[in-house]
Amino acid sequence: MAFLIRTIATAKSGRKVVRDRTVENSELIVGRAPDSDIHLPDLSVDLKHVRISQSAGGSVDVEALGTLGFGLDGSMVESGSINPATGGEIAVGSARLAVSSGDDDGKVQIVIEQVAKAGGASDPVQGFALASALPSKRVMAWGFGAAIFVLLLSVPIITHLLRSPVENDPDNLAQGQVVLDSAWSAGALSMAHHDLEENCEACHVTPFVSVQDETCLTCHEELGDHAEMPRLAEGMAPLSTGDAIQWSIGETLGKEGPLGCVSCHSEHEGPVVLEAASEQFCADCHDALDTRLSNPNFGNASDFGEKHPQFRPQIYTAHFAEEPARVSLDDNPQEMSGLIFPHDIHVDDQGGVARMAISLGQYGAPLECSDCHSEWTSEELIIQVAETGGRPSQYGDFAPVNMEASCEACHSLVSGRAGDGFTSLRHGNVDDLMEDLASLDRGPRRPVVSPRGRPGQFAQGGRYYSNFGRPMSAYIAINRALEPTGVCGECHIPTSTDGRRDLTPVNLPHRFLMQGYFDHAAHGDDVAQCTDCHATDTSSEATDLLIPDLASCRDCHLGESAAETEEITPSSCAMCHGYHTPTMPWKPEDHPDLPGNGGNDSVAAILSSLRR
Amino acid sequence: MASVPNDRFSQDEQRRNADHISFLKYKRFRWLWIAVLVAVATTIGYFLIDQDPRPNGGSWYGYTLGTIGLGLIVWLSLLGVRKRNISQGNWSLKGWTSAHVYLGLALIVVGTLHTGFQIGWNVHTLAYFLMLLVIISGIYGVVVYAKLPTVLSSGRSEMTRGDMLEELTVTDRQLESAAQPLDRQQADLVIAALGQDVFSGGALGRLTGAYPGCKTNRALSGFSQSGGEVEAKVHALLSQRAEQLGTIRGHLRTKALLEVWLFIHIPATIALLAALLAHVISVFFYW
Repeated sequence: MAFLIRTIATAKSGRKVVRDRTVENSELIVGRAPDSDIHLPDLSVDLKHVRISQSAGGSVDVEALGTLGFGLDGSMVESGSINPATGGEIAVGSARLAVSSGDDDGKVQIVIEQVAKAGGASDPVQGFALASALPSKRVMAWGFGAAIFVLLLSVPIITHLLRSPVENDPDNLAQGQVVLDSAWSAGALSMAHHDLEENCEACHVTPFVSVQDETCLTCHEELGDHAEMPRLAEGMAPLSTGDAIQWSIGETLGKEGPLGCVSCHSEHEGPVVLEAASEQFCADCHDALDTRLSNPNFGNASDFGEKHPQFRPQIYTAHFAEEPARVSLDDNPQEMSGLIFPHDIHVDDQGGVARMAISLGQYGAPLECSDCHSEWTSEELIIQVAETGGRPSQYGDFAPVNMEASCEACHSLVSGRAGDGFTSLRHGNVDDLMEDLASLDRGPRRPVVSPRGRPGQFAQGGRYYSNFGRPMSAYIAINRALEPTGVCGECHIPTSTDGRRDLTPVNLPHRFLMQGYFDHAAHGDDVAQCTDCHATDTSSEATDLLIPDLASCRDCHLGESAAETEEITPSSCAMCHGYHTPTMPWKPEDHPDLPGNGGNDSVAAILSSLRR
Repeated sequence: MASVPNDRFSQDEQRRNADHISFLKYKRFRWLWIAVLVAVATTIGYFLIDQDPRPNGGSWYGYTLGTIGLGLIVWLSLLGVRKRNISQGNWSLKGWTSAHVYLGLALIVVGTLHTGFQIGWNVHTLAYFLMLLVIISGIYGVVVYAKLPTVLSSGRSEMTRGDMLEELTVTDRQLESAAQPLDRQQADLVIAALGQDVFSGGALGRLTGAYPGCKTNRALSGFSQSGGEVEAKVHALLSQRAEQLGTIRGHLRTKALLEVWLFIHIPATIALLAALLAHVISVFFYW
């Protein structure tokens, strides 16, 4: 038994070197150990790796000696056998041992060949460059660039163009349809617009067209203009050169100009609460408005303490006037209300009025302002607005003085007895009065039958007693009542209409200052008494207008830049004036979505309120 | 013709100067002064010009700064195109590079003022931070180009990169033959060490110089110096291999530190251009 071992090596030149030897043995040891029959100087081969032996039947048995197996015809095995007639290949490390029956009888031939190692073809020095350990710059550049182009530009544009526009509904600010455009938002919206955060296209309706006033007005339709448009532009302060250039370019491209909504109400400035305009904002235009407006009907203003026109309350300057007129307090205005009312007598705590009030259970003390003047209750105001229309603010703080409630305790219109109570003349309408007086029995008359009176309810003073005398005495009573010294003339100015006696109509405005707003509640008892501002104790005529003038307000209120002291309150324009609602002051607190006003407890809102 | 030598001299002198003056000092720091002027002027403008209601990219001054910034970014990114064309004179590549570096620094000021310091999670701020990333990586690049090449040549002790690899190959051959008598377990350690690519370890390994997966070091811990003759020899060879790897890796680290900025600078520039396009279009799309 013997093996013919043929070793094939490949020289560097590529030439094959074949070496043959014969081992006269029935078994061979293949391994890395130098004394192996087949020595393979390969570290991946065990020192004694495989035993190859010829069995009696002529087949060749192969058996692993170490821990590693070997490859037999392509599969890893621990042992196996080869029929030399058909041949087989053993793989050990990088060597391939082809086993077959040799040319010589009885010898098994083993051809050993090394498998060439793969790879290593490229220039190894190139591995020194960092490029070999990182993705290529070009791939990264195109990757990042394309991701940004697609996600942050193409997706929002395409979804914006493909959306089906919906009408804005302030009660249902639906989620926007445009995808990923929140990445375009330059900053959070103001608190009032917080609900629109995910609905960019509610305002940004048309591509490349700036936010239009028309869009703002779909929700804010009730807002008034500060002034009519050509006049507003006329009075506007001149723009700086830079702003003028920007606006001329912007307006060419469709911006609505410096008087559009968004020019002042710039958005995306963070979750802020809309602040009142600063004094400077107003003064920019109002400081020298007369130099720009052709017919200004109000004075310049820039600082309440230093430059503000005298108040011009609206009053009725003549009896029977249809409309009130604005008169400056500097022009000694006379209010023709149609009433006679000396405040001084009524508020004097020593005189007859005071005595009378003390004697009446209803008062029990000298009269106070609040006995006649009371603030609107909300129910009253709701009824008033429902009946005569308009905004609640145009009715002022105080309800009109009611004759029956406030005057009649002393200025009685009681006309007689009826059963257990009294009859009273109706107030408010001269026709009613005449009717009431005509039915009175005031004049003396002879008894119809003499000399005995009628019994029971038919007797004088009884329920069915009737005066069948001539009505002359009633007419006299009517004339007497409507004379200056009559019961009506106590408070009203008699006049005649179409030759008939009548009273001058009462003309009292609900509010006097219509272009600014005075909040009585903010000037309560702890701040001032009524008489501190309203000179009732020295006013003996109803024609006296008891509206305090500019100077008296300046006792406490000076401009925004004034130093705050115990007496002085720095006051910006917005304390009394509103931009869009001239009859209302700045009152953002009314908005339900603002922090602190309930209805909004988001973290952003809470943080925002803390910051304030 | 007498003037020819003179001309020739001044011409050569000019060339010599041009050859030896770095792009940072080009024309006595001309571009540094221009950049300082741009930065100072835009900063003064920012604080002096009343921007209502607050400084913002959408005020007229904001638009002005944005236009300057956009122009600068596009021009700066054209260096990649410019450097592939060779020309000379005022717009030599050195002059262009000098302007690239200094105007790039001025762009920090212009871009930051353009933001009006309003930062958020949006495409506008993305563009701003990509711009900062590009500029900062550029600053890093200039610094390492000034400092590291000396380290690179001194660190490899007069050897070329090929020499270093060749040295390692010789060691590997010695190691392979010395390891022949080893048993399976130890032989596997040597195989693993030899089989590992010299450059394995990734970009992070190169930059930090830390190779926790190094199989040579692992093999080294499996052999003791005081073992048998074979083991001691293999240990010595493995130590030698580790040392050679150390040299190569030191070189790799320096080279990685020198080259890494471009792997940020270039992709970030292209990403910046995309973000800038999105920024400009989105601002006017949602005007």
